[in-house]
Amino acid sequence: MANEITYTVAFEELQQIVRDMEDGEITVDELAIKVKRAAELIKVCKNKLTSTEEDVNLILKELEA
Amino acid sequence: MLENRQIFSLQQVVSSIRKTIEERYQSSYWVKAEMHKLNLYPSGHAFPELVQKENDKIVAQINASIWNHNFQRINKQFIQVVKEPLKEGTTLLLNVKVVFHETFGLSLQILDIDPNYALGELQREREETLKKLQAERLINANQLLDFPLLPKRIAIVSADTSKGLSDFMKVLNNNPWNYQFFTMLFQAYLQGDVAAPSIIEQLKRIEKVKHHFDVVVIVRGGGGEVGLSCYNNYELCKAIASFSLPVLTGIGHSTNMTVAELVAFRNAITPTELADFLLQTFHDFSVPVNDARKVIRTSSSRLLETNKQLFSAETKHFKNSANNYLLDAKNTLLVTSQKFKNEAKTLLTRNREHLHFAQKECLNYSNRLFKVNREKLAEHGVQLPLKFANRLVKEQQQVSEMENMVRLMDPKNVLKRGYSITTINGQTLQKNNSVEIGDTIKTVTFDFELTSTIIKKEEHGE
Repeated sequence: MANEITYTVAFEELQQIVRDMEDGEITVDELAIKVKRAAELIKVCKNKLTSTEEDVNLILKELEA
Repeated sequence: MLENRQIFSLQQVVSSIRKTIEERYQSSYWVKAEMHKLNLYPSGHAFPELVQKENDKIVAQINASIWNHNFQRINKQFIQVVKEPLKEGTTLLLNVKVVFHETFGLSLQILDIDPNYALGELQREREETLKKLQAERLINANQLLDFPLLPKRIAIVSADTSKGLSDFMKVLNNNPWNYQFFTMLFQAYLQGDVAAPSIIEQLKRIEKVKHHFDVVVIVRGGGGEVGLSCYNNYELCKAIASFSLPVLTGIGHSTNMTVAELVAFRNAITPTELADFLLQTFHDFSVPVNDARKVIRTSSSRLLETNKQLFSAETKHFKNSANNYLLDAKNTLLVTSQKFKNEAKTLLTRNREHLHFAQKECLNYSNRLFKVNREKLAEHGVQLPLKFANRLVKEQQQVSEMENMVRLMDPKNVLKRGYSITTINGQTLQKNNSVEIGDTIKTVTFDFELTSTIIKKEEHGE
């Protein structure tokens, strides 16, 4: 669940940065920081698309409990 | 009495009953009854138990039979019209003939079953389920859940032999974008009477570990479009509608949508379409992420370009302003200096005139003063010798008078007349300048200067 929140948050933060940039809400001073942050967020999101973290054995154990 | 008895053989009796019944029930009848048990034998004949229930109590019961050829025909009709095979526990409209068999006894021979009546019964069950769920406000319950941004973790309710499952997995696993899903299969029967309790049980198991999953999918397909009325089962539909994760269905059929599909978060016609939907959600997530990269790149360069242009315009503006300012200042300076020059010249001229005038005034005045003084001087020059001569005579007279007096007073003249002056140590003898015997004194006369030693001293009495 924690991971889901992370990618949801990451996605929303990324969308916010994109909106701010499109609306011209970002100043030249912030630009470098925002672009760097966006790159990190894109990486997080991309990783989420192409990886899984659940463990079947753990779920089976919980089912038997 | 015993001799009077007429004894029948069993066969006689049974034959008589059969004859009576055959005479009495010559035609066939339409009967509404619940098929409690089908009892299909390998021979292809079925021997169903028919019952009538009132308040769950059996109030009538009779055995029936369907001969192989009738059964085949009826079942085919059912599957065609009802999309369900003949099944136990449903109320049917049967065309029957009352028969009595010498060895099998009384039974109803089923000649035909009206599939449309069965269809109506199923429809009624569907309506009832819908009505109940509506009353419990569960119809939209699952659809009101938040759908996860990325439905990555999927609990699959299906059977591992299902063609639908393999279609679903193929689409998920062979996606060219390398999207990764986590799937776990929860085995269940997917059609027929056993399906509803089986699926409900698996949903219960998923509920236990739901924190590991984002969505539940129920996929089925490839098994023909029969036995799907279980998806109208009230208990199953309630379990789906009230499930705490979004339940997606891909049951794969072309008939009317079942209640289960209706209450599911989302229904896809086929498992393949359902898998495509899941991939689409990944796209919906991925595309904005990819777009973000593009937007950020173009927005950044646009922002920089805009600022560069603004800066350049500002610089140009500043340069012009500065130049204009300098030019203005230069002009002002020039005008001021010209003005100053003129003012100074005027002032100088005026002062020079003042000076010139003052000089003239001064000269005139001094000349006048000169003249006056010269005249005064000339006047004085005339008077001075006269005054001076008078004064000189007067002065001369006074001087000669004083000269006489001085001459008379000169000690020399005194000495001439016989006086002398005695001194001691250069001092005249007086009271305070006493002499003692033995002192040397000097006496000056007109003709001599005498030095004496005191030999006697007598003081004058008064």
